Amino acid sequence: MNDSLFTPETPVIHTAGLCKRYGRKLALDHLDLQIPRGGVHAIVGANGAGKSTLFRVLLGFLPPSAGSATILGRDSARLRPQDRARIGFVNEEHTLPGWMTVAAVTAMQRHQYPGWRQPVFDEVIGHYHVQPAQKVSQLSRGERAGFNLALALAQTPELLVLDEPTLGLDVVAKRAFLESLLYSNAATDGRAACTVIYCSHQMEEIERVADNLIILERGRLKHMSAPDDFRARVTHWVADIPFKAPDPAQVPGLLEQQQLDGLHHYLVLDQDDSFGRFLRASGARSVQSMPVSLDRAVNSFLAQHHAAPIAA
Amino acid sequence: MWDLFKAELLRFRGWAIGIAGLHLLVLGFLTRVVDLGQQPWLVHLAFGIAYGAVGGLLGLYQMGVYRRPGTWLNLLHRPLAPARTAAALLAAGAVLLAFTAALPVLVVAGWQAGMTARVVDARHLLLALAGLQIAGCGYLAGAYAMLANRRHAAAGLVFLAWLPAMNAIGLAALALQMVALLWLLALVMLAFQPDLGAPPRRWGAVLLTALPLQMGVYLVLLLLWFGVEMLWIMQGSHPNNRAVPAPGGHNELERLDDRARLLAGLAASASPDAQRLREQVALSEPMGIAQQLRLLPHTGELTNVKPMAFDDTQRRVRWTFSHDSMRLQGLSLVDGRAAGTLGVGAANAAFPVPVLPIGRQPFLAQGDELLAGGNTLYQYDSLAGRVMPRLQLPAGELLLGVSMLGAHLGALSDKAAYIIDGRLLRNPGQGLLQPRQRVPLPGPGRFGDLSDLTLIELVDGHLFSCSFTRFAHDPRGVPPYQVLLRTDDAGQVQEVARRAVGFDYPALFRYRAWWSSPVMSEVLDRARALLAPPDALRATHPAPVPRDVKLLAAAMSLLAALAAAWRVRQLPLRWPARASWVAACVLIGWPALVSLWLLVPAEEGVDAAPEATPRPAPPRALVA
Repeated sequence: MNDSLFTPETPVIHTAGLCKRYGRKLALDHLDLQIPRGGVHAIVGANGAGKSTLFRVLLGFLPPSAGSATILGRDSARLRPQDRARIGFVNEEHTLPGWMTVAAVTAMQRHQYPGWRQPVFDEVIGHYHVQPAQKVSQLSRGERAGFNLALALAQTPELLVLDEPTLGLDVVAKRAFLESLLYSNAATDGRAACTVIYCSHQMEEIERVADNLIILERGRLKHMSAPDDFRARVTHWVADIPFKAPDPAQVPGLLEQQQLDGLHHYLVLDQDDSFGRFLRASGARSVQSMPVSLDRAVNSFLAQHHAAPIAA
Repeated sequence: MWDLFKAELLRFRGWAIGIAGLHLLVLGFLTRVVDLGQQPWLVHLAFGIAYGAVGGLLGLYQMGVYRRPGTWLNLLHRPLAPARTAAALLAAGAVLLAFTAALPVLVVAGWQAGMTARVVDARHLLLALAGLQIAGCGYLAGAYAMLANRRHAAAGLVFLAWLPAMNAIGLAALALQMVALLWLLALVMLAFQPDLGAPPRRWGAVLLTALPLQMGVYLVLLLLWFGVEMLWIMQGSHPNNRAVPAPGGHNELERLDDRARLLAGLAASASPDAQRLREQVALSEPMGIAQQLRLLPHTGELTNVKPMAFDDTQRRVRWTFSHDSMRLQGLSLVDGRAAGTLGVGAANAAFPVPVLPIGRQPFLAQGDELLAGGNTLYQYDSLAGRVMPRLQLPAGELLLGVSMLGAHLGALSDKAAYIIDGRLLRNPGQGLLQPRQRVPLPGPGRFGDLSDLTLIELVDGHLFSCSFTRFAHDPRGVPPYQVLLRTDDAGQVQEVARRAVGFDYPALFRYRAWWSSPVMSEVLDRARALLAPPDALRATHPAPVPRDVKLLAAAMSLLAALAAAWRVRQLPLRWPARASWVAACVLIGWPALVSLWLLVPAEEGVDAAPEATPRPAPPRALVA
C-alpha cells in the first residue's frame, strides 16, 4: 500500500491471520485486528497474551510465521525511514543511551525527526525535574519515562504506541505521565491528534485514558469495544442458595465463582435477567445483581482460562 | 547520523584513552629495551592477536548492548535507514581503533625515527595500518557474532583465522587484510536489520555468507580430525608414538642416527663399492650442512624472519639492514649515534635482496660476520669496514646455510649442496669462492620434501644421504625415498643407492583433509598462498591423489548432494535456489550441506485457523 491509500478510514493497524510461533508456543494465533484511526486504544491481556510480540511484528522487528500486518497502511516488514518518522514507540524499559546527556539525546531526536516540535517537548518535560546537562543514566525511572514520552510526543507521530510505559513508576510519576499524555494528545495546535495504542495492566489507567478496549488472550483477539461497553457485559450476581449450588459447568457465561459467608457470588458474561431466573430455578432463596468495575470485569474475563495450581 | 557517531565516540572515550595510554606505555617500554622494528614474526603475531582481541571485544560489547530487544528497537526505530545507523556506529568503532591501535604505533615509530639512529623503514610505518586493519577485522567479526543469527554468527571468525595464515607479505598482505575487512563489513551490514537474525535472502547475500561459513565448517572438520589423531595417540598405536617404528617406514628412517641412516641406504645399494662404503661409514664422522635460513626475507615485508642486525664487537657498531635503502645502517653501540651505511663492495652498492646475518664460522676474523641473501654469501670484513660477496651460486638458487665440513666449507641451496675448498676461505679479498663440488638434490622431490642431508668424507670424495620424508604424512609430500650420492675429487656425482620408503600412515588418513572436501582443501591452500611470493623452501613434489581416495571423495559429495536434495524439499526455496544448493553440495560436499542447514531455516509451521469465533466488529472511526 502506498501513502495515498492511507485515508482516515484506513485502520492504523490491520492484521489478518497473524501468527507468530516460538518453538511450540504460538504467541500470536491467527490474530485479526483492525484498530481505527484516532483516539486512545488500550490493549490488555495476561502475561504471554502476545502484546509485546504484536508490537515487534508491527514495527518490523519480528517476522510473522503466517498472516499479514500493516501499520499506517504500510507492510510491517517494509517500513521505510519516513514511515518510522510517523510512528512513536515507548516501552517499559525506556531504553535511552545512558551515557548521553538529556540535551544531546534531545538534539539527536530533533535532527532526525522532521516533524519535531520543541514546544511540545518543553511542555511535556516541564512536568519533570530534568536538567539538560544530566546524563540519562542519572535520571530516576520516572524521569526517564517522562523524558521518553516527551521525545515521542515531540516527534508529532501519527501513531503512538506505548507498551506498559508506567511499569515500575511510583504513583506520582504515573500520574504525571498520564497527565502529560492526555494533555499533549488533546492539544492539537492545528495538527491532527495522534492515535494512541496504550498497553497496560493498570485498569485505573485504562479507565482514565482509553476510548477503546482491546483484550488479547493467548495471541487471539477476545474483545474490542469501548470500556464501558465491556464493563456492561459483566455482571455480579449474589445468591443465597441453601442447598447444593449448580454445577459450575452448567452456569451460563460463568467467569468467576466464589462462596463467601454462605452466599454464592457469580461473575458472568453477557447475561441478563434470565440469569436471575436460572439461579432461582437452581434453588436460590434470594438473588441480587450489581455492576462491576472495569478492573474486576477484565480480571475475571482473563482469569477464566488462566493457569492455576491444582487444589490440594 | 552524525549525532549517533559522536554519541558512540563519547560512549567509549574513557576506555579509548585508557587503552591507548596502556598501548603507548607498553610500546614505549619495549622500545627502550629492544628494537621493535627488528622483532621476529612471532612478536608481531602476539601484537596482532592483542589488536584483534581488543577489536573483537569492542565489537561484541558495542553490539551486544544494542542487540537487546528494547535497545535494538530504540536504535533502529527512527527515520534513519539501518545502513546509515550502522555506518555511524561502525565509523565510531573505526576511529576508536585507530586511536588505540594505530596511533601509538605511529607515535613510537616517529619517536624512534626522529630521536634515535635506529632503522625505521616505510614498512614499519605500515605496521600501524596493519594493526588497525587487524583490529578492525576483530571488531567486525565480534559485531557480526552479536548481530547475526546464532546459527552462523561464527562465520566471521574464518577471516580472523586467515589473517595469520596468509603468506602474502608487505603491501599484498595489507591488500588481503583489506579484502577480509570489506567482506566482514558486508556481513555486518547484511545483519544490521530490524529483524535481527533474519537469514540472508538474496543470492548475493547468501553467497557472501555461505562461503566463509563453509570454510568455517571445513576448518571445524579439520579440527575434528585433529581430535581423532589425538585419540589415536592416546590409544598408543599412532606411528609417532610407537616405541619401535614400523620397519621400512619413514618414521624409522627419521629416527635413525646419521650413521645408521647411511647404512640403511647402502643396504639397498647394488653398487660394487657398497661394502667398501659401509666400512667407511663405520669409520667416518657423519656431518651435515646447517640451514640457517628457514624462512627467507622479502623486500618490504612488514615483519621479520629474524632480526636483520648484527653487532661488530670490534668497532662497537650494530649494523641493521634497511629495506628502504637496501643497505646496512650503522648505529654506534657506544653513544647510539648513526655510524654510516654499508653496501656491497667499495662502491657501497645496494644489496639486490634483503640479507640476513647467518652467524660466524671459524675461518672468520674477529668482528667479521657472514650474511646471506638470494644466491650470494657475503662476508662483512670488520677490519676493512666493507661487505664483499664471497660465494655466488647459480642464478635462481637460494643460499640457505653454510657449515664447516672438516677443513672445507659446505653450502646448502634449495637445489644443491656445495663443497668449497677450505684453503680459499682465509682471504676475503680473493674474490668469489668457486665450489669444488656441486651435488644436485636428487629428484623427484623438491627442497620442501627434504628432511635430512647427511654426509661423510671419503678418501676420495664424499658420500651424501638425502632423505625426502618431511611431508610423508601429508598429501603435499613426495612419496618418501632415500638416495645416496657419491662424489669424487673430480666433481663427478654418482647415485649409489635409491630406495623407496614406506608410508606409516594409511592413504585415507593422509588425505583426510582432501577427501573431506577437495574444493575446500584447494581453496584453503590458495587462500594461504594468495598474492604470496613463491616459497622455494616449501616447494614439494606431491604424488597424484590415489584412486581410492578420489572414489571416497566422490562418494562423500554424492551423499551430501542426496542429503541436500532431501533437505531442500522441506525449505521455502524456489527451484533455482534448490538446484544451486544441491549443485554446491556436489561440488563442495559436506561443508555446503552443513551451511545449507545453518543458513536456510525450515518454515515455521502454523496449524489451520481455529474454529471461527465471532470476531468483534471494529468500532467506528474515532477521528473527529
